[in-house]
Amino acid sequence: MVNLLTTESGFFLLLLLYSLGAIGSLFFRKKDELANGWQSFFAIIGSLWGIFFSISAFFTGNLSFVAYSSVFPLLSFSFHIDQLSAFFIFVISLITLFCSLYGIGYIKHYYKKYSISALGFFYHLFIIGMLMVVTASNGLFFLIAWEIMSIASYFLVVYDHNDVNNTKAGFLYLVMTHVGTAFIILAFLLMYKFTNSFDFESIQAQAVAIPVFIKNTIFILALIGFGTKAGIIPFHIWLPVAHPAAPSHVSALMSGVMIKTGIYMMIRLFLDILQPIPLWWGITILIIGSLSALLGVLYALTEHDIKKLLAYHSIENIGIILLGFGSALVFISLGNTLLALFGLGAALFHTLNHATFKSLLFLSAGSVINQTHTRNMEAYGGLIKYMPQTAFFFLVGSMAISALPPFNGFFSEWLTFQTLLQGMTSVNILVKSTFVLATGALAITGGLALACFVKAFGATFLARPRSTEVAHAKESSLSQLIGMGALALCCLLFGIFSGYLGSLFINIGTHLTVFRNISLPPILSSKINFIAPNNFGSVSALALIVFLILALFIVVLLVKFVINRNQKTKIGATWDCGTNLTPRMEITATGFARSIILIFAGILRPSIQNEIEYRDSKIRYFPKSRTVTLRTRDIYRLYFYLPLNKFITTLSVRAKAIQSGSINMYVFYILIAVAIALFLS
Amino acid sequence: MNIFFLQFLLGILFLSIFYLHLAKKNFGAVIAYSIQSLIITLILFTSFLETNSFFLLFVVLVTLVIKVILASVFFFRLIQKHKLTFSVSTYLNLPLTLIVLAGFTAIAHSQKFLSLTNIIPAHQALLSLALSAIFISLFLVINRKDALSQAVGILSLENSIVAFAIFAGLEQSPMLQFGIIFDIFIWLVISTVFISMIYRHFGSLDTSTMKHLKD
Repeated sequence: MVNLLTTESGFFLLLLLYSLGAIGSLFFRKKDELANGWQSFFAIIGSLWGIFFSISAFFTGNLSFVAYSSVFPLLSFSFHIDQLSAFFIFVISLITLFCSLYGIGYIKHYYKKYSISALGFFYHLFIIGMLMVVTASNGLFFLIAWEIMSIASYFLVVYDHNDVNNTKAGFLYLVMTHVGTAFIILAFLLMYKFTNSFDFESIQAQAVAIPVFIKNTIFILALIGFGTKAGIIPFHIWLPVAHPAAPSHVSALMSGVMIKTGIYMMIRLFLDILQPIPLWWGITILIIGSLSALLGVLYALTEHDIKKLLAYHSIENIGIILLGFGSALVFISLGNTLLALFGLGAALFHTLNHATFKSLLFLSAGSVINQTHTRNMEAYGGLIKYMPQTAFFFLVGSMAISALPPFNGFFSEWLTFQTLLQGMTSVNILVKSTFVLATGALAITGGLALACFVKAFGATFLARPRSTEVAHAKESSLSQLIGMGALALCCLLFGIFSGYLGSLFINIGTHLTVFRNISLPPILSSKINFIAPNNFGSVSALALIVFLILALFIVVLLVKFVINRNQKTKIGATWDCGTNLTPRMEITATGFARSIILIFAGILRPSIQNEIEYRDSKIRYFPKSRTVTLRTRDIYRLYFYLPLNKFITTLSVRAKAIQSGSINMYVFYILIAVAIALFLS
Repeated sequence: MNIFFLQFLLGILFLSIFYLHLAKKNFGAVIAYSIQSLIITLILFTSFLETNSFFLLFVVLVTLVIKVILASVFFFRLIQKHKLTFSVSTYLNLPLTLIVLAGFTAIAHSQKFLSLTNIIPAHQALLSLALSAIFISLFLVINRKDALSQAVGILSLENSIVAFAIFAGLEQSPMLQFGIIFDIFIWLVISTVFISMIYRHFGSLDTSTMKHLKD
């Protein structure tokens, strides 16, 4: 058993389990319950095996093997599993486990409406694609795995195909993902041209032979290609529409895990394969990270679609991950490998943390949508009375994403802050300015994220129901609660054991080529403490938790035995100014965010539209209803994608001129092509 | 086989394509095509005399039946059925057509295509002529407006390519040649059906009227 865990057979067993889940599901086309049982069983068993395998692979070291050498000389189905790959397999498996548990209960509402077996097939194929992406060590094989992942996720996005918005979202996702893939292919072709290989290890060995200009071009192409999948701004437009369209447990996987495959490849290429790298690469990623974090959270604030709000927060968190990763690249270029290692550790820690709390939030949002049949937060309210456990899990996720201790989000953002603050001590004015900008962006992002989740939690679970659907809501099923509960527990445990986990993430970095042969000073003084380099700042997870428990204990004691000592409890109606309290008197999600949106009006370009309907249109004294619509303009769509679309359409219309409809003309084109081909030969 | 004899055969093939550009009557065009197909059959027969491969002889016989006899029969029936005595006009007038033909012939014989026509140095003149035949056959399809002439042009292009392949020593296995001839047979059947459909739908073989099929 232990031997199997550490060999290639162990990995193939993992793929086999998911393959059985995928193919087996197809045999239960007309038996929804059996299809659900089959796919959930293999997904759970597969993810459990994946967790054991990845932990084992993490501690035993590198595992390289060729599964099959194809007849094509450049394509080999080869795998390489080092600590970095093992970490991503762990993240994929962990989130898959809880999403699959949740899925057992969640999928039931699709019975008799959609094909459960098709869902199972694409769900497993999607996981297989992700696992192969993070383990492939040949460029062409990687592209095959990338396509499997992308196509499978497309079918999951359009799974609820009766809603025309979902099919539109799927189309946008398909287009954007293939635009990204085109850039990736170009980057790989350029690498091949100068190294004569698609094998990552060969490319790494010959990376110094790639001219600087070409290397820079590869960086830009790869950044656009993988950045599109990761959802960085301005290539993010598919993300807020595609993630909400998929079933919620798939949204959790897409937002929590799939977009991280883009981050994985950026780390693999920029930090491992293409070294040494120029300084501006890191600075560019820091700037993109800052913009993505800040704009992601700002757009999230404007949303009242709960899943779109969460999707925008994914952009924000990808930005935070890029801040850590960008710092690592900058420090590498400056020769400070220790700080670079620290930055990479922050990025990887936030990758894991975001995967857990974002999945938790998507799953709890899924439960809410399942009961209320709407994604509009303005139609929620008071759900805490009907779904108390779901509300609690959403609250845990909200606290974690808002970086509140003792949950995991706080510790990875703390690490990122420490890295950025270290960068501010640089003597290079460009580097210093960039780090100042990035630190400021992260600070504002943290505050806005907290405000956004106060809005999301308040509008969804607190106050009174704002629609009749809420009054009929019921608590999530047991499997859903187990899935969410386990993720909530992970958010807490990853926070408590952040010191130990931090040492593991630093360990991942030391196995990358660029960090090899460096002696590590005691960056981590113990397994429960984080200590920043140069003793700049430190935080103890254990001390923090003890402090919080003590503080809570003291507050309860004070409230119960000191302040309320002589007071008697009276239960009565709340004073309502003599009027009947109605849901219309509650502050809405839009109303809550309005003041913040107006502060950032220069970026968000909001427009407020007031509509009043009078009882008598001639005598305008008695309004029947008032409607305030707050809209924000999507500046990327307006100033980037629409002009680009216009340009491509104009070009296409002009290109259509060659499509004359005359056979003679087409044969003439053939003649010209033949003549040119012969001439060039 | 005597190179002069082969050059003579290829010369006739080239002239037959030249004639296809000048022909005003469809009957003459089909006759010209039959002659060039017969020439291809003769060239293949000379290969048989050199190799004594009976499979090649079988290919020669199939070529004779399909290209020389069946193709002509198909086209003659089509002409008689729809009374297509005269072909539709060309895009370029006769003097301009002749200038273009001269241009293509000159280009094919130029130094630019030496790497292609010099595959077998002894056959350079033959290959240049075959390349000219390829170009002017393609131009026949471009310049003619009627579907029948275009079909003849495509078949003529195929003959020119076969001639080029034979003189360049690129002869494939007899099985492959047999497969190509079978393809041509199927193509002939389909193209005659299509030509009939075009005539029935538009009342003419002028393919420029098919523009109206566009959105």
